[in-house]
Amino acid sequence: MAIKIIDPDLCTGCKICVLSCPMDVIRMEEIEKKATIKYLEDCTVCGWCAEDCPEDAIIITLEKYLPIIGSWE
Amino acid sequence: MHEEYIIETDILVIGGGMAGFNAAIKAREQGMKVTFVDKGYISKSGQTPFAMDFACFNPEWNHDQDSWLKTIYSAGEYLCNREWTEIILQDSLQRFKDLESWGVEFIRKESGDPVLNAIGGTPTETVQLVERKFVKVLRKHATKLGVNLVDKVMVTDLLENNGKIIGAIGFPTDSCHLYIFKAKATVLTMGGNSIKPISLIGSELTADGDAMAYRAGAEISGKEFTHTYYTGGDPAKWYNFISGISAVGWERSHKNFTSITNSEGNEVQLSSPLGFRELDFEAYAGRTPLRLNVNEKNIHLFQKLGCMDSEGNVPIIGGAKPSMAVHGTEGIWIENKKSAASIPGLYAGGDCASTRHMGAAYAVWGFALCGAAVTGARAGIGAAEYASQEENVTIDNEYLDQIRRMTLAPIKRKGGIKPRWLNQVLNHNLTPYFIFQIKKADRIEASLTIVEYMKENLVPRLYAKDPHELRLAHESKNMVLNAEMKLRASLFRTESRGKHYREDFPLRDDKSWLAWLKLKNDNGEMKFTKEPLPKEWQPNPNKSYEEKYPFRFPGE
Repeated sequence: MAIKIIDPDLCTGCKICVLSCPMDVIRMEEIEKKATIKYLEDCTVCGWCAEDCPEDAIIITLEKYLPIIGSWE
Repeated sequence: MHEEYIIETDILVIGGGMAGFNAAIKAREQGMKVTFVDKGYISKSGQTPFAMDFACFNPEWNHDQDSWLKTIYSAGEYLCNREWTEIILQDSLQRFKDLESWGVEFIRKESGDPVLNAIGGTPTETVQLVERKFVKVLRKHATKLGVNLVDKVMVTDLLENNGKIIGAIGFPTDSCHLYIFKAKATVLTMGGNSIKPISLIGSELTADGDAMAYRAGAEISGKEFTHTYYTGGDPAKWYNFISGISAVGWERSHKNFTSITNSEGNEVQLSSPLGFRELDFEAYAGRTPLRLNVNEKNIHLFQKLGCMDSEGNVPIIGGAKPSMAVHGTEGIWIENKKSAASIPGLYAGGDCASTRHMGAAYAVWGFALCGAAVTGARAGIGAAEYASQEENVTIDNEYLDQIRRMTLAPIKRKGGIKPRWLNQVLNHNLTPYFIFQIKKADRIEASLTIVEYMKENLVPRLYAKDPHELRLAHESKNMVLNAEMKLRASLFRTESRGKHYREDFPLRDDKSWLAWLKLKNDNGEMKFTKEPLPKEWQPNPNKSYEEKYPFRFPGE
């Protein structure tokens, strides 16, 4: 599922994954101040988040997340 | 309500890859104030971090220039800008040395000599980088030198005044504030264009640079040539980004296979060491399944990749990377050895630049990274030279208002077309091999009908819910424009040559087409001009057609 999980028990809120992501998939969640997946459908599975997380909190799988999308709104 | 940040700089470099780093660092070395911007995090954005082979010409490593040039020129089918091909070779060693001096590590043997890799039986050789690592070193060096790095700002358009490019406009990906970069010279190193299946990881190459430059009036070239890769066995297992082995695997392992056999038991004639679209020709003629005949010594590689079937064959599957650009051929038309575009104040490097050193085909490994370093460095030095003669930049306010509105338009709407949907529809129209690998006027025109509809009716109504989607909306707009460029260029070149094959014009037409094709925005219309090949690079008139062009296209 692209990014399978950002483990909140391991995440320290360092923001490295937020900065690293070239597709702006990850943002900081305001209350817990931890990384959260916001735009999973834009993840191209480049692996930077998992590679550079100092706590190894991120697990990715080698497939993109392609949900059904509508055409207009 | 949005805020605005004005950033004044001597040199603006847009696009944080190999070309961009070389441009930014070289410009900084000339004493310029350099602003280096990317829509991602510089050193973790785009394609560069995953590239590893860097072609490097060095007579001390027993490299013979004539044999390298012969290989490149033969695949380029007379469309190489030979001045640039020689520059790329000659500058490559100094770029290698520069990179090392900046802290980049190339893989070396115990003896200390660099590991040299020759792929596909060609005389050209590459030195090896370690993916992901080298870009971090480059970022550190650029920062140390005092380059101003600006991360996560999506640049959407160039700014001009009195026929000169004077900077660019953009916004950060998490807000709608505007960044107005005022620059004496701008270098575009924003990468290339590629149309890959949506489900393929690493599929997004949006060619923002070509689109922006086109809108600003620059000439663009090389859009008719496409580069293709295949995959084998289970595609998901081939695209292993961690080890760097991708669906491209064929080329890296060319020495690992002896031949490719079609369903009739015949060997497929391969036109070049890389990107051989003859596999699509076989499929088109109904001669699949295709099998890779593996070199016994290296069977373990294929077993490890999990792409062998139960009978020990490697079946080949089409459609992995159908329409990539030819490195160095597609992009902003470069006018001179300083990597300048045809508008004052604009320079380009890497996959964003059309220096045409590879001609009609990308057929030798390692020239993407190498070409990016060479063109990027020259662009940075050229831009610095130009900027040192320029006054401070002024922008007309009414013009700027217009650009602001254009930049924010999708997010000002209350509803409209969803960018991700538009990308998918566009992608599905362009990825089939019968559009860009095996071209024919009626099919190109069918695609063009859809793309024109998108341009007229869908792009002007793109809707962004938030700044993240605003970036997507601009990327969609750029991809539709690129699609139009590729389709029209393919239609205009009525012959076949290199990586442009028309089944309705299967022959190379030297009488009319020893020329490069340029396109330009002429009052809203996409206009084409031919730039004839200089006489000294034209083929010897005494050569037969077969001597000039040994590879036979279907239908010739």
